[in-house]
Amino acid sequence: MFQVPTIADLNLGLTLPALSLALGACVLLLLDLFVPRERKEITAWLAMAGIAVSFVLNLAGFNESGTAFLGTFAADQFTGFLNIVILITAFLGVLLSLDYLKRAKIERGEYYVLLLLSAAGMMFMSSANDLIVVFIALELLSIPLYIMATFRAPDLKSEESGMKYFILGAFAGAFFVYGAALVYGATGTTNLPEIFAAVNGIIAAGGSQMFLLLMGTGLILVGLGFKVAVVPFHMWTPDVYEGAPTPVTAFMSVGAKAGGFAGLLRIMVVALPVFVLKDGQTAAAWQQTFWLVAAATLILGNIVAIAQTNVKRMLAYSSIAHAGYIMMAVAAAGTAGVANEATRAALLYLMAYMFTNLGAFGIALAIEKDDGSDTGVDNFIGLAKSKPALAAMMTVFMLSLTGIPLTGGFVGKWFVFKSALDAGLVPLAIIGVLTSVISAFYYVRIIVNMYLKDGEGDPAAGATRYVNWAIYVAFAGTLLMGIFPWIATNLSDTVVLAVEMFVR
Amino acid sequence: MLELNVQTLAFFVFALFVLGGGLGVITTRNLVHGTLYLILSLFGVAGFFVLLSAPFLAVVQVLVYIGAIAILIVFAVMLTRSMTSLHEVVNRQWVLSTIVAVLLFVMLTVTIILPVWGQDGSLAGQPVSEVVATTTDLGKALVDGNQYVLPFEVASLLLTAAMIGAIVIARDDE
Amino acid sequence: MALQEFAPAAALLGLSVLVALLVVMLSRLLGPHRPTSRKQAPYESGMKPIGQAVRRMPVKFYLVAVLFIIFDIEVIFFLPWAVVFRDLGVYGLIIMGVFLFILTVGFIYEWKKGALEWE
Repeated sequence: MFQVPTIADLNLGLTLPALSLALGACVLLLLDLFVPRERKEITAWLAMAGIAVSFVLNLAGFNESGTAFLGTFAADQFTGFLNIVILITAFLGVLLSLDYLKRAKIERGEYYVLLLLSAAGMMFMSSANDLIVVFIALELLSIPLYIMATFRAPDLKSEESGMKYFILGAFAGAFFVYGAALVYGATGTTNLPEIFAAVNGIIAAGGSQMFLLLMGTGLILVGLGFKVAVVPFHMWTPDVYEGAPTPVTAFMSVGAKAGGFAGLLRIMVVALPVFVLKDGQTAAAWQQTFWLVAAATLILGNIVAIAQTNVKRMLAYSSIAHAGYIMMAVAAAGTAGVANEATRAALLYLMAYMFTNLGAFGIALAIEKDDGSDTGVDNFIGLAKSKPALAAMMTVFMLSLTGIPLTGGFVGKWFVFKSALDAGLVPLAIIGVLTSVISAFYYVRIIVNMYLKDGEGDPAAGATRYVNWAIYVAFAGTLLMGIFPWIATNLSDTVVLAVEMFVR
Repeated sequence: MLELNVQTLAFFVFALFVLGGGLGVITTRNLVHGTLYLILSLFGVAGFFVLLSAPFLAVVQVLVYIGAIAILIVFAVMLTRSMTSLHEVVNRQWVLSTIVAVLLFVMLTVTIILPVWGQDGSLAGQPVSEVVATTTDLGKALVDGNQYVLPFEVASLLLTAAMIGAIVIARDDE
Repeated sequence: MALQEFAPAAALLGLSVLVALLVVMLSRLLGPHRPTSRKQAPYESGMKPIGQAVRRMPVKFYLVAVLFIIFDIEVIFFLPWAVVFRDLGVYGLIIMGVFLFILTVGFIYEWKKGALEWE
């Protein structure tokens, strides 16, 4: 019969990083009421302290694994690694926002609370072990982002950005729930490992629950694919990224991707790795679809980015393209035996992308004017003369986004391509390499603008102290990961999501 | 297969409410009428919950959707400028949308009907879960049993985030 | 749960629709029908309606409605818990305590920000 559990049964020790950040956000909401309006940087520092506490707790429990909350919350190295990515993103996000919000005259304490709540949602996502937790974490990471995107209101572009993101995001959430409901209909459970167990039975019986599972997986891909902005669910990205305040764009371009891919990997690799249409196949039924989505994303993202003249829009299309590379790793995870390697590749790519992209957005933010204008690609002309240090760092970020050796981007791409090849997805890997070459075109154009074109050079008024700090951290991370890749790879050496890969 | 009893009759009446209401929402040119159609549709869904032996959800549906959200939509309609005479019922992308919507509809219908009436009919007459959700079960499931304690707590964070959002967007910082 | 348990609810629903229709029909059938221009006005003894009927209303109404919905949903989470809270003991109390704590923080924020005041 019904047995009331105890608090000890919940195994709260494992959940401390996520819980501390969530409760920290609540406490910050209270404390912010007593922070005078002209001294909101206090709230920002408190937010960073909260992130630091969570970061320390995450490192302390990095090697522990197990489940908490009666099986709905999984803590393992996958969680630990993603939490590092999420917390650094949040930390740099706060640093980038500090002066920017002041400059743009939109400083409000709630901003930092929302940022923490969104980061907490991403962390719950990275350890979700149940479809319902995935859904509610998805909403928790999205709703604060919708609000933060409109933070520049009544600026029309910012309002459009938030509205568009909200309506399409709610729509995508509905798709996800529909998919989760169909998967529940097929398997009778929402717990990911239990779904895994049930899938075997369904394949063996050859029953028509297969259709429910197939459609459910497809709808889940629609819901999460929207969050991570892969083609054909990418339409919102350029408008939202362009209209949102730049630090928000930086935060959501990395954070929402980390959260979305965390959910996607958890569902696909933990619950559905052996979901094949006929007994005996080695690749999961969803691999074909993911393959196509990854290829379309790579091609469209990289080619349309060439035509962009606004650096925020350019980075938006670039972020679509990078979602394609990570999607390549997710597709590779569909092959039996490669799942764990591909998961690890996706994680490493996310970390490299995080440092590089935050740095690139940091420099875009530095040359932006107080009213949000002047973010064109042409505004970089002559930056090497006016701000040689910024120009040099931007060069490294652009090279890393292209994937040149000795930068983090190269390491990420190396692991992703390798997992794709190991999974036998040779055409996809070739598309990946070719589109990387195409991407050099628009990344190098910025370098050319900075160094080879004559111009006044932007004064980069936004490169204030904290923004510089954030850029330095991103710069150091990008280079460290490129030159000493084992720092990151050691952190993910025992990422094991897929269980009993060969047992079937 | 289909016997005509009160339950079947009620199902068809509610289905008429849901589908008719939905059709009304997308075809009317008057936003206020659209809201009323929506309420009709939501009421039909509440009826479905009753038929599915989920009375608590039926009450929630009436309380939250008809009672609160419909009111909110009426407010939203009153905030918009031209609410009684929309000029265009469809936009430029209606051809593409129709194709996608029809495709999705066909796929979903096939997916749901096949397991029940398909070649093996393996799911016909079988409940997916043995748990009959009374309010008592729901209360236990929320804090434990069926493991929903984490979503339950995260839901409160979500509500708080929504509250902050409402205040940030609707009120100036003074 | 048998459907018969909902018979009273269905009867009530049917009756209220019937009564509503009846009242409207009867007053139309039985009442005298002598229109004057004053009686035809939208408000027979009220102010004259001037200008557009459709006015944009202040966003404050909307804020109150949104906050209402949030607390409405909160109460809905309470109800199933309240039904079984004796079985759940201290554990259930702690779980609900955390839920309530988070929402109370939100409530204090809302109060201090003056979202509950009209002006």
